[in-house]
Amino acid sequence: MTAARVRATLGHPVVGACCRLLIGGIFIYTSYPKLLRPDEFARLVYGYRIIHPDLVNLVGITLPWVELVAGIFLVIGIIPRSSALVLAGLLALFIVAGFLAFIRGLDINCGCFFPFMGDHKLDWDLLVRDAILTLFALQVLLWPSSFVPKRNHNRASRRGASNA
Amino acid sequence: MIVGALALVIGSAALGVVVNEISPRGIPLLFTTAGADSTPTPTLPKEIRGVDLRDALSAFDEQTALFLDARPPEDYAEGHVPGALSLPAYEFDDYFPEIADRVEEASRIIVYCDGVECSDSIHVAERLLEYGFSHVSVFESGWRAWAESGGPVEEGAEP
Repeated sequence: MTAARVRATLGHPVVGACCRLLIGGIFIYTSYPKLLRPDEFARLVYGYRIIHPDLVNLVGITLPWVELVAGIFLVIGIIPRSSALVLAGLLALFIVAGFLAFIRGLDINCGCFFPFMGDHKLDWDLLVRDAILTLFALQVLLWPSSFVPKRNHNRASRRGASNA
Repeated sequence: MIVGALALVIGSAALGVVVNEISPRGIPLLFTTAGADSTPTPTLPKEIRGVDLRDALSAFDEQTALFLDARPPEDYAEGHVPGALSLPAYEFDDYFPEIADRVEEASRIIVYCDGVECSDSIHVAERLLEYGFSHVSVFESGWRAWAESGGPVEEGAEP
């Protein structure tokens, strides 16, 4: 398979739509329990020891809403590149936070994927998973044409025709 | 794209702050410092009292409280507060009937898990409050603080 064919495949609208639905859906799903229990999420954030304790509650309150809104926007196509950028940034942040926790030997719950649903210790597998999800988010960033709805093209071309 | 991302983050965060203000589960924007050991912690739910390490050690020495270990059973077996009963947060319904009599007899109940970042002790405390136990406290600094302070430790699956 040539590089051009790989690029064409990665930039295919169906691939873009799948990436949007996957990333957006995951963030919508995982934000829900955090929204319900900001106090518990703040504790998980505290466990990473990378945010000043003064700010732990603030992060616990605001971060789930950023995840939810960006996830919804990505799924339904409102400023999708900006939404993908936010979610890719969050994933990168999670990877860095997890890596720092590892090298400091912190034995903590990850607070990711299914928070508060049991004992999900921070594991290398989770960092790999976050890295893969980041690639999906990057697909949306790098191939913007994949999420431009066709009707906009049609509307634009009709407008161009009427102007002419 | 970057402006849109910034607007999204700021708008969503503002929405979160507003919802938090009107939500019954809302928490203060800044952390609180619970107890004399000054461990900075996120906020406990309003209905649950917190105890610090000094209070926990004092209650243990004076035997004025029943300790409940909300961690998974394998963590309990590796080491726990002497006399503490195992009541894992995610197996509450399986474990509670076996220790219900002991819990009902206790004049004071202190629940703990790993440390400040874990919520298992809060889960257990909330379930006990639902069952009508009003004298329930959470030892927020938890097992880690207990062990690091040199508090007595007991090993094994049984109390």
